[in-house]
Amino acid sequence: MSVSITAEMVGQVIISGLLAGALYSMVALGLALIFGVMRVINIAHGTFLMLGAYTTFWWSQLLGINPYLSLLVSMPLMFLLGMLLQRTLVTRVVDAPELSSLLLTFGISIALVNLAQLAFTSDLRSVEYLTGAWLVGPIAFSKSRVISFAFAVAITLFAFWFLQKTKLGKAIRATSQSSEVAMVCGINVQRIHLYSFGIASALAAAGGSLVAVMIAIQPEMGQVYTFKSFLVIVLGGAGNLPGALLGGMLLGLVEQLTSLFLTTQLSEAVAYVLLVLVLLLRPAGLLGGRST
Amino acid sequence: MKRVAPAALVIGFLLLALYPLVASGYEIRFMLQLFMWVALAQSWNLISGLTGYVSFGHVAFFGTGAYAAAILVTSHGWHWAPASMMGGVAAVILALIIGYPCLRLKGPYFAIATLGLNEVVRALVSYFDSFTGGGSGISLPPIAATGQLYYAMGLAALAVTAAAYFIITSRIGLRFMTIREDEIAAEAMGIDTARYKLYAFLLSAFIPGVVGGFFAQDTGYIEPISVFPLLTTITMIVMVLFGGKGTIWGPVLGAVTLFVFQEMVWARFLYLHQILFGAIIVVVVLLMPKGILGMLQERYRLPRTI
Amino acid sequence: MDHGHILEIRDLTKRFGGVTAVNSCSLALAPRKIYGLIGPNGSGKTTLFNCITGLERRDHGEVYFKAERIDGLKPHQVARRGIGRTFQMIRVFPELSALENLLVVTAEPFEVAQRKALELLQFVTLDRLQKEYAGNLSYGQQKLLEFIRVLMSDAELILLDEPAAGVNRTLLNQLLAAITRLRDQGKTILIVEHDMKVVMGLCDTVFVLDNGEKIAEGPPAMIQADERVIEAYFGR
Repeated sequence: MSVSITAEMVGQVIISGLLAGALYSMVALGLALIFGVMRVINIAHGTFLMLGAYTTFWWSQLLGINPYLSLLVSMPLMFLLGMLLQRTLVTRVVDAPELSSLLLTFGISIALVNLAQLAFTSDLRSVEYLTGAWLVGPIAFSKSRVISFAFAVAITLFAFWFLQKTKLGKAIRATSQSSEVAMVCGINVQRIHLYSFGIASALAAAGGSLVAVMIAIQPEMGQVYTFKSFLVIVLGGAGNLPGALLGGMLLGLVEQLTSLFLTTQLSEAVAYVLLVLVLLLRPAGLLGGRST
Repeated sequence: MKRVAPAALVIGFLLLALYPLVASGYEIRFMLQLFMWVALAQSWNLISGLTGYVSFGHVAFFGTGAYAAAILVTSHGWHWAPASMMGGVAAVILALIIGYPCLRLKGPYFAIATLGLNEVVRALVSYFDSFTGGGSGISLPPIAATGQLYYAMGLAALAVTAAAYFIITSRIGLRFMTIREDEIAAEAMGIDTARYKLYAFLLSAFIPGVVGGFFAQDTGYIEPISVFPLLTTITMIVMVLFGGKGTIWGPVLGAVTLFVFQEMVWARFLYLHQILFGAIIVVVVLLMPKGILGMLQERYRLPRTI
Repeated sequence: MDHGHILEIRDLTKRFGGVTAVNSCSLALAPRKIYGLIGPNGSGKTTLFNCITGLERRDHGEVYFKAERIDGLKPHQVARRGIGRTFQMIRVFPELSALENLLVVTAEPFEVAQRKALELLQFVTLDRLQKEYAGNLSYGQQKLLEFIRVLMSDAELILLDEPAAGVNRTLLNQLLAAITRLRDQGKTILIVEHDMKVVMGLCDTVFVLDNGEKIAEGPPAMIQADERVIEAYFGR
């Protein structure tokens, strides 16, 4: 393949990578939270993203106003749904072997995805809002990507502030360090599990609402995000929250770079190879973290 | 009981062997597909039920076998039976490529790695369309081979169930199970868990590959979405969990029960069907993690090796 | 290096992040003796076991078993060479029967293995429970099972991690008698223990670890009187 790679192309790719990366980071943060606090591997994580995207779609269909405002609906809604699922189902496998939580969340994800198929059909939906791009020199910044990036960064920063500074956030961090110690300190660990799952689902939903304006919406759209979130966590180190940020950016960059040299069809294959490589060479992640 | 069981089995085999002589085309196809699901479920049991290393991408082996066999039949004129065997070999090679690195990971990480496997293989198959016909798929020359395929699928189901029997009743099976029970203790007792995991994984990939080849011939046409559907993996998992993972007859029980229900009730309602499968997985994990057979084993103190 | 030693550890160091769990530890075990390894909680005893058996990779130092270097080997390779161990938290195979827990350890022909397994089960009076799932046994029974499982492999060096923990007096005496008999049969045993009476009564030589370092070594009576040991446990 003899296409000359110019500096502009590389620059474009890096920008696109970072824009996409922030979204990955935010969604993966949710998954990392669930794993860190409860040691549960939530395969159903992407379904919350999908439901968030559909919320934005219906918002835009029914109300016709700014789809970004639907974040105010999709996030709380999925927060509640997440808590419901945690309370009724996930909490029963928190102390069971990890295999159980894997299979349980797998089952939940199948059920939810197909419920969505029944409710929404598998027709592709989309939300048109911002089109076009801003040009800065030779590099085009797709408008919707930039706005999504901005929201993703804002939400992620808020999440970090929340975890560092608020009482609940600190309790969550304490529980993810050691639930026994947290209990001894008077923290209601059951509540923490509940809220963490809710927050994580809200983060995924936010991701869904933000991508709803950029890609096609269909019931199975969440699966690839689940997988990519795992990849991000593996890159950054399991249980390592700042690592999730780095991992997300890295994934975004790698994806865009490979699309420069290979077709986008193969970009998922590349992500997969990356996952396997990292798992083999640096199982503790690039920043290191706690193992399972 | 010990005297009756082998006799009953032999009679059962005879009946199944004679079945095509008296049954209609539809009925033969029904049984043919049933055998296929028994073969697939039992294969998944070999890795996930015995060693506890859950494979979420197992249909990748089925699809790989289907494509390998189809290519051999259409481009190189092979007969479908040896072509399908090569499909099994292709699946084992894929399992080696994936398994060798990924089985070194701890259980949950391995499961995550297998999540993406199917999609990636499918993407690769679509991409290299000069070999595989890409999205247009491959059409196999139609043969009136339903009867032969019935026996082929039946043999596959028999072979993998026999393998399960020999493994589960032997010390090799015990060693596989120690991986599931406590891998660290297993290592400390001198068991080379990495090697045993790999053996289980390779073994679990072979029959799905072979059966994929049979499937290709049976349906006459394959394309990426038809031989790499997530639903196949889901079905394998549900059948084994429901019937009883880690046992010999559990996967058979699960396959027979759920396939029959599927054909009679749910296949008409695709999404409802999958919702029910998801629900079954949830219910089994929460309420009967050992499946039907496991529950019976506990209740009636049956031996572990059934 | 003294070729008479069955196990020799030189300058072993293991760090976990910022914590040095084992710090330049050196010790040597002569065959056919019972050794004790004691020290306050967190002094690195189990980590030392893990480094010997290959469960953890040491950061520095060497481990020699029968004059052959074994650090860097995988756990199953170490086990195959003749080192067996038990764990602080019992690790039997719950879904396997007691008999199967023993059979799975060896590659000997089935009849031989089964005979040996039954003998061992009789030795600790568990033979009537041979078909019972190990997970259904009581704590004490599982402890015994784990103990004889190590014996099943004919290990020459046996590492026992807190064999007396949670065990009643009668059972304990059985275990101690068994350990003494093992020594007389030619095995070498290294025991991590908190129960001082056990250690003092059973061991030929005792090593004391504190903060990952070996601070004393000698016969039990000497250790009991050693100032540094007393300080490690009570003072500071």
